[in-house]
Amino acid sequence: MYTYIIRRILMLFPVLFGVSIFIFIVMRIVPGDVAMTILGTDATPEALEQLRKDFGLNLPLYEQYFNWIGGVLTGDFGESMRTGQEVLPDILNRFKLTFELTFLSALISWFIAIPLGIIAAMKRNSNVDFGVRIISLLGVSVPNFALATVIILILALAFSYSPPVGYVGFFADPLKNLEIMIIPAVVLGTSMAGAVMRMTRSSILEILRQDFIRTIRAKGAKERIVIFQHALRNAMIPILTIIGLQIGTLLGGTVIIEQIFSLPGLGQLVLTSITQRDFIVVQGAVLFIAFVFVMINLLVDILYSYLDPRISYK
Amino acid sequence: MFKKHFLFFLLLIVTLVATACSDDSASTEENAGDSSVEQVLKIANDQEPAGLDPHKTPAHSSVRVYSKVYEGLVTFDENMKIVGQLAKDWEQPNDTTYIFNLVEGVKFHNGREMTAEDVKYSFERILNKETASHIASYFSNVKNIEVLGDYQIKFELTEPNATFLTNLTNSSAAIVAKEVVEENGDLQQVAVGTGPFKFKEWVPDSTVTLVKNEDYYIDGLPKLDKVVYYTMKEEAARLSAIRTGEIDLTTLTAKSASLLKDQEAVNVKGYQSLEYSYVGFNVAKEPFNDPKVRQALSLATDRQSIADIVWDGDAIISGPIAPSMGDWAIDVEKEELYQRNLEKAKELLAEAGYPDGFSTVITTASTYADMVDTAQLLQQQWKEIGVDTEIQQIEWGEYIDTWSNTSADILVGRNGSGTDPDRAMNYFFHTDGSANVWNFSNSEYDAIVEKGKSTVDQEKRKEIYVEAQKKLLNLSPNLFLVSPKNYVAVRDGVEGYTPYPHNGEDIDEVYKK
Repeated sequence: MYTYIIRRILMLFPVLFGVSIFIFIVMRIVPGDVAMTILGTDATPEALEQLRKDFGLNLPLYEQYFNWIGGVLTGDFGESMRTGQEVLPDILNRFKLTFELTFLSALISWFIAIPLGIIAAMKRNSNVDFGVRIISLLGVSVPNFALATVIILILALAFSYSPPVGYVGFFADPLKNLEIMIIPAVVLGTSMAGAVMRMTRSSILEILRQDFIRTIRAKGAKERIVIFQHALRNAMIPILTIIGLQIGTLLGGTVIIEQIFSLPGLGQLVLTSITQRDFIVVQGAVLFIAFVFVMINLLVDILYSYLDPRISYK
Repeated sequence: MFKKHFLFFLLLIVTLVATACSDDSASTEENAGDSSVEQVLKIANDQEPAGLDPHKTPAHSSVRVYSKVYEGLVTFDENMKIVGQLAKDWEQPNDTTYIFNLVEGVKFHNGREMTAEDVKYSFERILNKETASHIASYFSNVKNIEVLGDYQIKFELTEPNATFLTNLTNSSAAIVAKEVVEENGDLQQVAVGTGPFKFKEWVPDSTVTLVKNEDYYIDGLPKLDKVVYYTMKEEAARLSAIRTGEIDLTTLTAKSASLLKDQEAVNVKGYQSLEYSYVGFNVAKEPFNDPKVRQALSLATDRQSIADIVWDGDAIISGPIAPSMGDWAIDVEKEELYQRNLEKAKELLAEAGYPDGFSTVITTASTYADMVDTAQLLQQQWKEIGVDTEIQQIEWGEYIDTWSNTSADILVGRNGSGTDPDRAMNYFFHTDGSANVWNFSNSEYDAIVEKGKSTVDQEKRKEIYVEAQKKLLNLSPNLFLVSPKNYVAVRDGVEGYTPYPHNGEDIDEVYKK
């Protein structure tokens, strides 16, 4: 098990190396550069040249790459070309928000999705089941941004309420922080719940058809015990896979939701930096997101073997 | 079994610890003591500042912040007349020399007194190539700067320049403190000026906080104790926040302004901007190298319907100098090329060798709905003279690249016409103008705008620019369309706020009831 984990962590390096080369090249292929977006209509050839020199954009590509990756390996992600802000502290700071938002949404989605999915599976083809399936279909198909905008409008127009402005960290002011985070978390949570609900229902239905469940029932076990002690645990593997993917994606930045609710998270950083062609920030942020994604996958794999001891990594 | 549970709890603990680490460094909580009397103005903006260095950052989202922290030698009053700011007065011994007498006893926010040495340092920093300042070109004809005393400084120019004082009003011509630059490398993350507000904190993508400069040299100003700028990119979020009073002031688009018209406790203020929308041609490329084609397209353009549809009727038809520049702008509505005339347009196209019209591509930025709407209207209008267009929408970074490399045949966009006609006329259309990306070159036109720049007599200068505008309209390297209004929504109880075209966000006099 531990050798497996170590091997997976070692695997990180080739993956991140590939990602670093990929994003480096992509950012150089995209038309436009940071010097031009900074100076805009005030650009003069001399000023452009000087800025490009300052940012090292006049160096050969391989040299630019090694300068950057060399810094990254020593923990120095560089400074934003646009604002002069140090990249790594900014990423970590914003990651806290994205992390909190992701886990709040995940909690909300589990609280809705897993119980409803189980009930739907137990009462298959009943009205309850149809209701749950409609709700989950809505969750999957209503886009986040539409739901978010509608909620903002309804709260403002009907209840004269809008969430407090200006982000505050959880430990600075837990109540205000939760008040800011709850609506975005509900929006994300409901759309995550749709997929999880569907997966829970079908996965449990699948398990309920298997022989060992019949054996347990034949032994006279209560339905509650059949579902919670035997079926759910075995059904968790595909559910966990979906949840892992969802969390990995959200941790990479929930761009639209952050934008709509003015949350200074990782997604906004990536988006702004791309439009401003702030190469250094985009490269650092994408590398960081790739790292997080790989780590979440590793975590999910480890959880698999916890849930199903038959799965072992050697 | 224990081992597995242990692993599970380990993960749980890691999660909790990680959450616990999300400390409050991103906090912007107002924690001032006497909140009952503290005057705090909350402003929401759609863009994040792109750095705070006045000499290096032209982005409007930055200007609105650093213009409260820094000051220049002179500024505009509400009637766009040049008045002293850090200079109490100035004299002009001859056409190329300016001597400024500085206000005495002005202190930087770090407590040190501002003197003529700081003025000299600031302009040397702007002109230093290594700074890569966007306003270096505004002062490229400064030959020599000499400190005559602690409170007196002399600027010598290479030739008479009517735009020199106007250029000094630019928020980027700010006086900065040498020690702060040296300590921080540049001023992108810090701001220490002489202005009415002190920079306190910038939380990326969230807030910028300014606090009152208690030592400000003008008595009674500013009236606010604190200003907080919130970055809220989503317009729906800004609208909802101003409706419920979470914020006091925000900029709006024309469409949202009409949504808020009947909102209780919110006032919408509109003021004419210094911007205009335009169609830019790559005049080196066929068919746009023929002025007749450009004139034909001008005659086929219905500017009033652009004002009505794109801007809800709240825009004025504009030439190369926006109408809010007052006397400088000519009344373009009387110009022949502004009267829609499809017959004449077709004739001109036929004379140019395109009796059946032609097909082309209009490029514009998807980021701005007004630009896309304008392009779509032009597409319909030009179709009537047989010009078929396809609209290509590109993202902002690529748009700027396309603009600077003239890699599109037709570009629809918006320009700021500046506060001096020289910028609108010389900068964008002189053969050597830094922002002349259109390959446009006309020696007669060049001669006129050069004369305009060096003519100091205001009346004569006006005549010159009338001639230049007529000439430019006739040559039509760009089609100038309409000048929109800017809108600001303000909550009841915010007093003393009046936006002007050249200064939409002056808050020195603002207070809350």
